[in-house]
Amino acid sequence: MPSTQTPPIAGAAIDPPSLRPPIDDATIERVEPAALRARLEALKAEGYAMLLDLGAVDYLERAPRYDVVYHLLKLPPKIAGVSEIATPLRMRVLCGVSGDPPRLPSVMDLWKSADWAEREVFDLFGIVFDGHANLRRIQMPYDWEGHPLRKDYPVRGPARERAPRPAFVNKNNVQAGTPPSGRTLEALQEQVKRIREGDAP
Amino acid sequence: MSSQPLTPEIVSQEGNAMVLSMGPQHPSTHGVLQVMLEIEGESIVKAEPEIGYLHTGIEKTAENLFWSQAQTVIERMDYLAPESNSLCYALAVERLLGITDGIPERACIIRVLLMELTRIASHCVWLGTHGIDLGAISVFFYCFDLRENILDLQESAGGARMHPNYVRVGGLNGDLPDGYLAKLDAFIAKFPGRMRDLRGLLQANPIFQDRTIGVGVLSPEEAVSWNVTGPSLRGSGIAYDVRKAFPYTGYDTYEFDVPTRKQGDAYARFLVRLDEMEQSHRIIEQARRRLDVPGAVLIDDPKVTAPPKETIALSMEALIHHFKIVSEGFRVPPGDVYQAIESPRGELGYYVVSTGENRPYRVRTRPPSMYNLQSVKGLAPGNLIADLVVILGSIDPVFGEVDR
Repeated sequence: MPSTQTPPIAGAAIDPPSLRPPIDDATIERVEPAALRARLEALKAEGYAMLLDLGAVDYLERAPRYDVVYHLLKLPPKIAGVSEIATPLRMRVLCGVSGDPPRLPSVMDLWKSADWAEREVFDLFGIVFDGHANLRRIQMPYDWEGHPLRKDYPVRGPARERAPRPAFVNKNNVQAGTPPSGRTLEALQEQVKRIREGDAP
Repeated sequence: MSSQPLTPEIVSQEGNAMVLSMGPQHPSTHGVLQVMLEIEGESIVKAEPEIGYLHTGIEKTAENLFWSQAQTVIERMDYLAPESNSLCYALAVERLLGITDGIPERACIIRVLLMELTRIASHCVWLGTHGIDLGAISVFFYCFDLRENILDLQESAGGARMHPNYVRVGGLNGDLPDGYLAKLDAFIAKFPGRMRDLRGLLQANPIFQDRTIGVGVLSPEEAVSWNVTGPSLRGSGIAYDVRKAFPYTGYDTYEFDVPTRKQGDAYARFLVRLDEMEQSHRIIEQARRRLDVPGAVLIDDPKVTAPPKETIALSMEALIHHFKIVSEGFRVPPGDVYQAIESPRGELGYYVVSTGENRPYRVRTRPPSMYNLQSVKGLAPGNLIADLVVILGSIDPVFGEVDR
C-alpha cells in the first residue's frame, strides 16, 4: 500500500503544451474526450496509418488532470525506394481527461498497436480505456495497488520502524589501547572475564 | 509482469490445444520474457508475450532527478545501444532550451560517429545471439570480437564500456582523446573483411536459410498496423528511416542508403541488418574525414553547461556558474516536445514535458522494442514452437527498453 510519508512532488497548475508554439515536426491538436474517437477515426481515414505512441501526463493541479497524448504518423504513399522518400507527416493529438477513474474510448480496433500502449497507460496512470478487450496490468505485478506514474504516488515506500538492534551490540566491549598498568594481555583477559560474567543470565 | 491470472483468450482453449509457458528464463528470450503459447501439437495457435519482468520505473525516476542526472538513468534503457537513448533525450532537451542550432559542428560529427558505431555494436550482439539460437556458435565470437573493438573506442572516449554518458545536453563530455582516431582508422580498415566473414558464415548457409526463409512473414500492412519500425519495418519493404525522414544532428549531409527487402520474413530482416551495418560503416568513413578539423564540442552557454575546469580557478563568474550547475542543475523553459531518432531497433522517441523547473516534469519514451515485440502476437500463430525462437531473434528486442 503506497504511503504518503514522502510528500508528493508538486503538480503543475500550468499547461506546458499550450505555452509556446510547437518546436518539433508535429502538427498539434487538442481534442475533447467526447470528440476523440471521431477525430482519430477521421485521421486514420486521412492516412495516418501508424499510431506511433500513446502516452499520458499527469498534471495533478490542472483541470482536466491528465493529458493522453497520441502520436500519429502518416507515411507518404510512395515509399518503396530510397530516392522517392517524401517526408512523412507527424501529428500529435492531446486529449485532456479527468474523473475517477478517468475514462477514454479505446482505439485498439483502429490500430492494433494500441493494445499494449493502452494497457501501459492503464497500468501506470489508471486511465481506463472503454472497449479494450484485455485491459490488465502490463508492467507492474497483477496484484499491485496504485498507479506509479501519477504525481501523487510517492517515490519512496512506507517508512519502516527501525529494526531492533541485536542485544550484543549494546554491551560493553573490550577497550582498545594500552592499559595504565602496561600489561596489555592481563588487562584484556580481565576485561573479557568481566564482560562474560556480566553477560551470564 | 502480470503472468497471473492467465489471459482469458488463452485459457479458453478447445480441442487438442494446450497451454505452454515459454520463459521467463528461456535462453532464447534474450532477457526476461514470458510467452504464453496455445499450441496444437508443435504449431502455435496463439501467442501472448508477458512483459514487465525488468520494469524498474526509469520514467518515474527521471522525474525526480535534474535534467542532466536523468540522462544517466535514461541511458540504461536500451543497454545494447546506450548512446542512442542519451542522444535522443539530449536532442529533446536542446529543442526545449532552443539551443539546437548552437551545438558545435564537431560535436554533431562525433554524435553521428557514436550513433553509427553503437548501431554496429548493437547489431553485432543481435547477430551473435541470433546465430547461437540457431546453432551457429562461431558467428558469436566473430561478432563479439568486432563489438569489443567498438567498446574499446567507447571506453577511450567516454570512460566506460557500456554506459559512457558521453553525449550531454549541449554537446559532448570532452573531445576525443589522443590516439582515438588511429584506433578508429584500424576499425574502419578491419570492418569490411570481418563483414565478408560474417556474410560467408550465414548468408548462404543452407541450415540458416532453412530456418529463416519464410518464417515469421510480416506483410507491410501488418507491420504498419503493429507499429513496427526500424529494420523489421524495412524488411517488409517500407523504407521509413528517421535519419532520412526527419534528419537530426546533420544526418542530411551524409550519403547513405536505406536498405529494404520485400519478403518480410526473418531472413529479410537479417539481410536488412547486415546491409545496415555496411551503410553505418559508410557513414563512419564520412564522419572520420570530417574529424580532422579541430573545434569545440560543447556549447558555450554557462546557463546550460558547466564551464571548463581550467577557468574555475581564474574567473569568479565561472566558479559561480559551475556551482549553480552542479548544485541545482539548469532550468528548461516550459513546453513539450517529441523528438525521435533512428535507434538500432527503430524509431526511438522521447516526449518530454517541462514546467520550467530544474527537473523534467515527464519523460515518456516511445520504445521501439516494445512495439516490435508486440507484433509477435501476429507473427507467431501458424509457426512451429522452434520458429518462435527465430522470430523473437529476428525482431531483436531489448528488455531494458521494453520494460523500462
